[in-house]
Amino acid sequence: MPEGNWDGTTYYGRPQLKPAPFNKWLVGGYVFIAGLSGAAQLLATLTDLRRGRAETNAVRRGRYLAMLAPTIGAVCLIADLGTPQRFYNMLRVFKTTSPMSIGSWALVGFSITSTATAALQCMADRGRLTAWFRALARVTQIPAAGLGAVLCTYTASLFSATSTPRWAAAPFSLAVRYASAAVASAAAALSVGEPRRASLGRDLDSLAIAALVTELAATMAEQQTVQRAGIDDSWSNLADTVSAALALGLFATSLLLPRQRSRLLSAAGSAIVLAGSFAMRVNVLRAGQRSAQQPNVRLSFAQRG
Amino acid sequence: MDMPLRAADLCGNDLDGVIPNESELTAGVRIVPGRSYGFFTDTTLCIGCKACEVACKEWNNLPADHLGLTGDSYDNTGALSANTWRHVNFVEHGVRDDCGTPGQSGWLMMSDVCKHCHNAPCLEACPTGALFRTEFDTVVVQQDVCNGCGYCVPACPFGVIDVSTLDGKAHKCTLCYDRLKGGLEPACAKSCPTNSIQFGEVTELQQRARTRVNALHGAGVKTAYLYGVPDGPGATGGLEHLNAFFLLTAQPESYNLPRAPTRPANRVAPSLAAGLTTIAALAIAALSFLAPRKG
Amino acid sequence: MQSIEGVVVIVQEGRFQLFDDDGVAHFFVLGYYAAMEPEQLQSLLRHRVRVRYSDPPDVIGHQANRLLLLNAR
Repeated sequence: MPEGNWDGTTYYGRPQLKPAPFNKWLVGGYVFIAGLSGAAQLLATLTDLRRGRAETNAVRRGRYLAMLAPTIGAVCLIADLGTPQRFYNMLRVFKTTSPMSIGSWALVGFSITSTATAALQCMADRGRLTAWFRALARVTQIPAAGLGAVLCTYTASLFSATSTPRWAAAPFSLAVRYASAAVASAAAALSVGEPRRASLGRDLDSLAIAALVTELAATMAEQQTVQRAGIDDSWSNLADTVSAALALGLFATSLLLPRQRSRLLSAAGSAIVLAGSFAMRVNVLRAGQRSAQQPNVRLSFAQRG
Repeated sequence: MDMPLRAADLCGNDLDGVIPNESELTAGVRIVPGRSYGFFTDTTLCIGCKACEVACKEWNNLPADHLGLTGDSYDNTGALSANTWRHVNFVEHGVRDDCGTPGQSGWLMMSDVCKHCHNAPCLEACPTGALFRTEFDTVVVQQDVCNGCGYCVPACPFGVIDVSTLDGKAHKCTLCYDRLKGGLEPACAKSCPTNSIQFGEVTELQQRARTRVNALHGAGVKTAYLYGVPDGPGATGGLEHLNAFFLLTAQPESYNLPRAPTRPANRVAPSLAAGLTTIAALAIAALSFLAPRKG
Repeated sequence: MQSIEGVVVIVQEGRFQLFDDDGVAHFFVLGYYAAMEPEQLQSLLRHRVRVRYSDPPDVIGHQANRLLLLNAR
């Protein structure tokens, strides 16, 4: 056994790990889009099951919003590959030890079921055989919602299942953050199109508030865990807490304002939630890559016990 | 067709002149598919000649990278990368203080390489199946499958594998897979002049290593220990053992190695469970908010 | 982008060496957008090719972007 504890010296200050070669805008953007689309499909499905014919507009918007992941999301992912022309190799195998494998298959499944649901919605809107298309859409939306739920959260396990200290230190909190951020952004996005501040709009706003509170709690919990693991990233932590609190605060404020001006302000509030969600993803990537490059952080994280 | 003489010379002989089962002569081990092979690197024998780095570059036709001097003792290679699969570490460790002890003086020299872990995190992370376990129990990247997603890079707890910016695919030590198939031991092990890098079957190497550690302890080098054997540093957190393991005489961090790395795949299920539970909880909240209204 | 002609003498995975007419060996890594798979390089061994390449920083070697088989043996 090596003598004693680590005395803190590093190998000439050289990094001991390699950071993930992900472009933080492309991959951060994809995580945001995947969360938004997956949660949008989930919320559209829940609304359809609960409110049925009464809220066809919201359901329609949710189903179309879910098309972002199969289109822009997939393009972001393929663009980030080292050899993009071999993107289809992602479907050679299915590995439960690799969240990237799980996610690639989830994305394919989600793309197929969501595209089917959106297409059926589109056909139903054209007026002919409406009842049939609507019924079929109600069937395809179920697996789409399930896969959408996976899309919201698998990205957190993708980051946690690495040796990067910042991501590996607090897997539970990161997962809760990602899941709640996805639901918050979808709820905020869907409430924008609601004509009046009654019924569905208010319900979606309440859900967004609940999700944002969960996200803030998870953000603070993650910082506690990460600090105890010896990773000190105070500016990043401050930025995270402030942005989560700000999104929650501003969104809540926009709901409390008088009804006459509330439409524009509620749209602004939703935009802030979406921007905050995107910024959070990019920041998680940046903070992780930075922690991998710091040998003192990594080596202290890899001590026994 | 007129080819320059040197060119004809270079590509003229396809394996004529190779002794069958050459590894029996050079390493004392016959290479049989189905057995587990690896390296035992005894850093107390390393003289820092870097023959291993050169042999690896020559055999694998790798370009030189990390150009320029680092100023970090004799280590101008810096680190393992997509084009550097063997890297010798140098630490000048109070050279004059330790002159009395047998073996090395104060120098710490170690030839770093891919550890070919038993539960390789890079292999477990790879979504295309490019990284696979060979018939010699080594970990190799299939260059015709890899699409350069780069997920293996943060997964590796030792910072070994890297994606090349030139060809957009991941590269690392193959334990000379092509040489093993031809009955030859890996290039680095063959070229090591002091037999610091020993190639053989993993279980036999571990026995040899334990004997060597006991001998060193007996000779007064009390700080000698094995890194990467079961239940030792470097093979913690679910990695089981490393097929390429080391005999070190100082703390692992001095050689830029982690003391207690963990197997990243152990975090997949807990993270997914936490995330899906959160979604479920928020979905239940959503259902209650969305309860049908009267009128 | 520059161009060079010579005989392919060594091929290993996606990397190869080219001997030009002056007997100088040049080092190439097959670039990611070369529209050619690494296993196709093996069939070019001992053939004369023209390579269009670029020079990435911090590496003693070239990135091969385009290969043209000049004459089959």
